[in-house]
Amino acid sequence: MPQNITLTINGTDQTVAVEPDSMLLYALRDNLGLHGPKFGCGLAECGACTVVLDGNAIRSCSTPVSAVGSAKITTLEGLGTIDKPHPLQKAFIEEQAAQCGYCINGMIMAASALLAQNAHPSRDDIKQALDGNLCRCGTHMRIVRAIERAAGQGA
Amino acid sequence: MSKHQTDIGNLAAVGRRGFLQASGGLVIAFSLFGAQEATAATPAPGAAARSSMTPPPAGKLYAWLAVHPDNTVTLFTGKVETGTGVQTALAQFAAEELDFPIERLNVVMGTTSETVDQGPSYGSRTVRYAGPQIRHAAAAGRKALLDLAGAHFGVSANQLAIKDGTVSVIGAPDQSVTYGTLVNGKRLNMEIGASGERFDMKVAPAVHTKDPSTYTVVGKSVPRKDIPGKMTGQFTYIQDVRVPNMLHGRVVRPYGVGSTLLSVDETGLRDIPGFVQVVRRDNFLGVVADTEWGAIQAAAKLGSTLNPSGPDAAQAKWSSWDGLPPMDQIWETVRKAAAGSNAAAANVGSVDMALDFAARTLKATYKTPFQMHGSIGPSCAVADVEGDRATFWSCTQMPHETLRDMAKMLRMPPEKMELRWFEGAGGYGRNGFDHVVADAAVMSQAVGRPVRVQWMRWDEHGWEPKGPPIVQDLLGALDSNGHVAAWRHHMWIPTTSDTHLIAAALIGEPDVTGQTGVGHPAVTYKYNFPNADVAAHGEGRVGLLTAWLRSPAQFETTFAMESFIDELANAAGQDPLAFRLAHVSDPRGIGVLRAAAQSYGWESRPAGGKRAEANGKPAQGRGVAWVNRDDVCVATIVDVTVDPASGEIKVGRVVVAHDCGLVVNPDGLRNQVEGNVVQSLSRTLHEEVAFDHAHVTSRDWQGYPILRFSEMPDRIDVVMVNNTPKYPPYGAGEPSTNPTAAAVGNAVFDAIGVRLRQTPFRPDRVKAAMS
Repeated sequence: MPQNITLTINGTDQTVAVEPDSMLLYALRDNLGLHGPKFGCGLAECGACTVVLDGNAIRSCSTPVSAVGSAKITTLEGLGTIDKPHPLQKAFIEEQAAQCGYCINGMIMAASALLAQNAHPSRDDIKQALDGNLCRCGTHMRIVRAIERAAGQGA
Repeated sequence: MSKHQTDIGNLAAVGRRGFLQASGGLVIAFSLFGAQEATAATPAPGAAARSSMTPPPAGKLYAWLAVHPDNTVTLFTGKVETGTGVQTALAQFAAEELDFPIERLNVVMGTTSETVDQGPSYGSRTVRYAGPQIRHAAAAGRKALLDLAGAHFGVSANQLAIKDGTVSVIGAPDQSVTYGTLVNGKRLNMEIGASGERFDMKVAPAVHTKDPSTYTVVGKSVPRKDIPGKMTGQFTYIQDVRVPNMLHGRVVRPYGVGSTLLSVDETGLRDIPGFVQVVRRDNFLGVVADTEWGAIQAAAKLGSTLNPSGPDAAQAKWSSWDGLPPMDQIWETVRKAAAGSNAAAANVGSVDMALDFAARTLKATYKTPFQMHGSIGPSCAVADVEGDRATFWSCTQMPHETLRDMAKMLRMPPEKMELRWFEGAGGYGRNGFDHVVADAAVMSQAVGRPVRVQWMRWDEHGWEPKGPPIVQDLLGALDSNGHVAAWRHHMWIPTTSDTHLIAAALIGEPDVTGQTGVGHPAVTYKYNFPNADVAAHGEGRVGLLTAWLRSPAQFETTFAMESFIDELANAAGQDPLAFRLAHVSDPRGIGVLRAAAQSYGWESRPAGGKRAEANGKPAQGRGVAWVNRDDVCVATIVDVTVDPASGEIKVGRVVVAHDCGLVVNPDGLRNQVEGNVVQSLSRTLHEEVAFDHAHVTSRDWQGYPILRFSEMPDRIDVVMVNNTPKYPPYGAGEPSTNPTAAAVGNAVFDAIGVRLRQTPFRPDRVKAAMS
């Protein structure tokens, strides 16, 4: 049955009434109304649902709420806004690195985890970090360029 | 944001039309600055009381434009954004003709009660056909505003100047007024005239439009309006839409494509928190719950899982059905179907007679599989069906048509129905986006509450309409001078336009709406061979439901045509580029081939064609191919490295020369071409829908791999040809998809001397071809 569970999301404690074995993605989207993390496959295969949990990019579609504990969760909304974008978001906008944009949440969140661990990744480092993230529109060239741009600006 | 405005036609017309007639309703608007707004939640007060939800009349200016008191403008269009940037491109046309800053111009797309039906957003036809319609409407808007300003200042129009949405009296700069002040919150009721329908509609035909050589907004790389919101989570996709009192629904599809539902065991469903009920109607099965998780759990119990183990393995029992043809014989099945039409694309001279005199004759058969759209966001829609009234929230490519389909399926009057359009994940054709509206409609009608349905990944992979498998026979003859003497290209193409709805079939009314088209010769034959016979045997549905997938069937026919040209060039011992140029008269075709070659630095030589050793070192090759699709010419040159030991193909540099006439947004065009190249590389190297006798077995991204970052090309250079106001914009959504498979195959031949005639070029196929 649903239980009240407190999650630390984008720097704020939020209590949600969910089943402990339900997946984090649905708590973020349905209980908290966030639009950043997306449902893509529910199988941890595409990366559209990616959030950063204590510095690591994880798949929220396959992470039970009960496994989160006191870990700090950052979503796309936690990085920045249209008016105050995070350097990665700014770089993606400057590179116009989206077509439909549905996968981009995962790209930016995976990139933010990468840059936190490796401020100056090579192109191969970036490709490797994103290799589990799928983009169907074929925006790969721009996505990589945007991450390189953000890294060059010390994101 | 919505049209809560009184009428304004000429000054005497104020108040003539009903104040509320076109007000209310909800719109989604996008802006370059400021947050994206998407009020999905509650219908506006009074909306439900409206007597009609029909689209506004195309001959009225307010059908296209609204000017707001804060001097912002809304453009209304029945076209929709699918990720290709057309929203911004259409806004550029409007801003250009209206002399209004594009930053202050919002675009409302698709919502049926707010927009004119300009035809579906497919076929690379949005800029080409809707562009002129919007251009004329905006020019009519500018003229109307100028007339208002003339009356305001008591001067004639030729004494006025417009800059950025402000009208001034020439020579009296203190006398100026904004569009917003002039219109004063009223509705633009002027009659501008419109005739015809959809793609062929002519809007404000008599109005004077700008000389394209004077454009200042069209032709500029204006940043996309939708991107900032998408990068920050502030954008509302269809998947984000929530409405009050809404339930979450999931479908439970039959085990076999044609299985019938035998029984449903509801044991344990009530124990699932939030579970509400099962929806069963003939073979349609779904569940609804208060929570998404509850719906997913309930659907799983009934059999909606990644790997169902049999028709009666879960609590919903289906009949055994094994009607799909064997996967490895699908092309023979396509040939045998052969009950459809025979349509010629070219019939020149006599191929049979020419063969008698040929120095050399080649034959080859090319095969391409079922492929899928593979949207990253599964199909999703919300429906609220109550009595004889319905509202849908959908990301369909064809909102007006989908609404008509729903009216037929639900047998309800279309004027009491509305479809509110929100963007979805990229769809690339007719995938599940329309079908999920029907699923939601059936469920909402059954439970009397709004229902949001989102397909699970296996629903999407398993049931979205596919691109069809195609088989093509080619025959070519060379004369003693190495020229092509005869060319025969016969193709067997199942339908790419089957619009029957899955849910309609499941509820036992398969033909209540939709039709099954017949495959046609999806090829633009532009060679000047003296004898040519190009024809398609068009079929209906073969095996799985099929519909249009990016550049329908022309991706496949270009693969065969442009690969076989290379086979002939090789047989003639000629450079593949020079061989093409010797057989093409189309100046724009020649133009893109030369432009690509120049950008690439093409040196003339025959293709290598030297057979690599099975465990030899990686070898490099280059390949070229081109296409003319609906007046757009594209030539693509690809570098590959092939590892004979593994059979892996790695794409290095890609050069695309692209002639779509005037380019509305150069950066947008580059984005689209890059996307087409990468997506078509994925289709070339990886993609094949697998199925057994019962159903599609490619049910997730493991079962249907697509291109990953580690495989992306090193670079993609886009060269724009004939980007000049002398030419109209022809539309660039799809054409650059087409040459990729042939260019890669030709490059593989150059590298290792192996001809690949079946996509995808998986490593095992490369290895098999080598042995």
